[in-house]
Amino acid sequence: MKVTDVRDVPFGEWSSTVLALREDGYAFFDFLTAVDQTDADADPGFDVVCHLIDPSHPSGAAGLRSVLLRTRAVDGVAVPSLTPIFSGAAWHERETHEMFGLDFDGFDDGTGRGLRPLLLPEGFEGTPLRKSFVLAARASKPWPGGKEPGEGHESARAPGRRRVQAPGVPGPDWGPREPSSSRAVAEEST
Amino acid sequence: MGVDLPMPSVRPPDISVGPVSAHAPKPIKVVLNWGRRYSLWVFNFGLACCAIEFIAASMGRHDFMRLGVIPFAPGPRQADLMVVSGTVTDKMAPAIRRLYDQMPEPKYVISFGACSNSGGPYWDSYSVTKGVDQIIPVDVYVPGCPPRPEALLHGIIRLQEQIASERVSAQRITGRYAGSRVGSAGDVRRPLLRRGAPAGRETPTTRIPQAGDGGDR
Repeated sequence: MKVTDVRDVPFGEWSSTVLALREDGYAFFDFLTAVDQTDADADPGFDVVCHLIDPSHPSGAAGLRSVLLRTRAVDGVAVPSLTPIFSGAAWHERETHEMFGLDFDGFDDGTGRGLRPLLLPEGFEGTPLRKSFVLAARASKPWPGGKEPGEGHESARAPGRRRVQAPGVPGPDWGPREPSSSRAVAEEST
Repeated sequence: MGVDLPMPSVRPPDISVGPVSAHAPKPIKVVLNWGRRYSLWVFNFGLACCAIEFIAASMGRHDFMRLGVIPFAPGPRQADLMVVSGTVTDKMAPAIRRLYDQMPEPKYVISFGACSNSGGPYWDSYSVTKGVDQIIPVDVYVPGCPPRPEALLHGIIRLQEQIASERVSAQRITGRYAGSRVGSAGDVRRPLLRRGAPAGRETPTTRIPQAGDGGDR
């Protein structure tokens, strides 16, 4: 399904917009998730994204009509929960809570136990889908192969010491590294 | 919602192959190894796409039954060989450990594919275990992403060569555990090092009384 209708709504109108869309026929709740936009220049925070489908209007080759709702939530502010509107949003909000650390205000899945981990193993600390979450295994675990493209080859065309600067990749100051890469870091500094 | 299933306790490993088999003469050991080698009841721990290759290896074209590998054991308690095929996550790791503990000795493990060998392409994910050998001892590693069914056949042949040359004895089996990994909650209930304890003295390992322990006192 190709999403063509993307609507940005103000944070305050999040749940009222979803309720109005449900009354309008968008009665199938597809998914809810978040996008880490804390490094955005304007209005940093988290994009909360919700996809709703209207199952009552089959429109031929184009498929069902759907709408992708988006709002920008400031980090630390609880998002209004959609569970009073769609009960099926409970799993999605629990997952978003454990992966991004977003709180949902008025969350109710009928058990009264609130936002608790859904997928992560017991005792897991941290919110792994935030950009600030460091993939510590890179620094702490020995790995027999190359971590970056071109590493481990004796080719002159290897990209060399250019490091990937993706979010989550620990910097050179992180933890014990294996001797080969720590030597590479030392060569860089001289 | 929580189901409380206690960790099953396992028989001491040196009983299951017969206490006298360590003293069997060499021709008998050859026969015992030969029998064990060609009737490997396999238990497939399929976790990802590698499991499809495992299934392909069990089907008509590759047909690992001609090597004596019998697929689809009714459960881990009837299996001799566990093939871990796929991405092991930290959430799944306790289940693998638990089913491995339920298998009777002697037992063998084939790690099939890059993910269960080392974590593979998901090695630096927050949720993926960096190799199944962090939780259970592995006999044969089959590389590939995913490996072809022929690679599994080769791994099985390598395992059978190992079995043919091994001496099954209490020392050998306990040696697979002692010192090679850190004890977990499952090990405490499982008397790993019960040899060498003089009468009247308790071993450091906590022992849970089991059926058939009467002669121990």
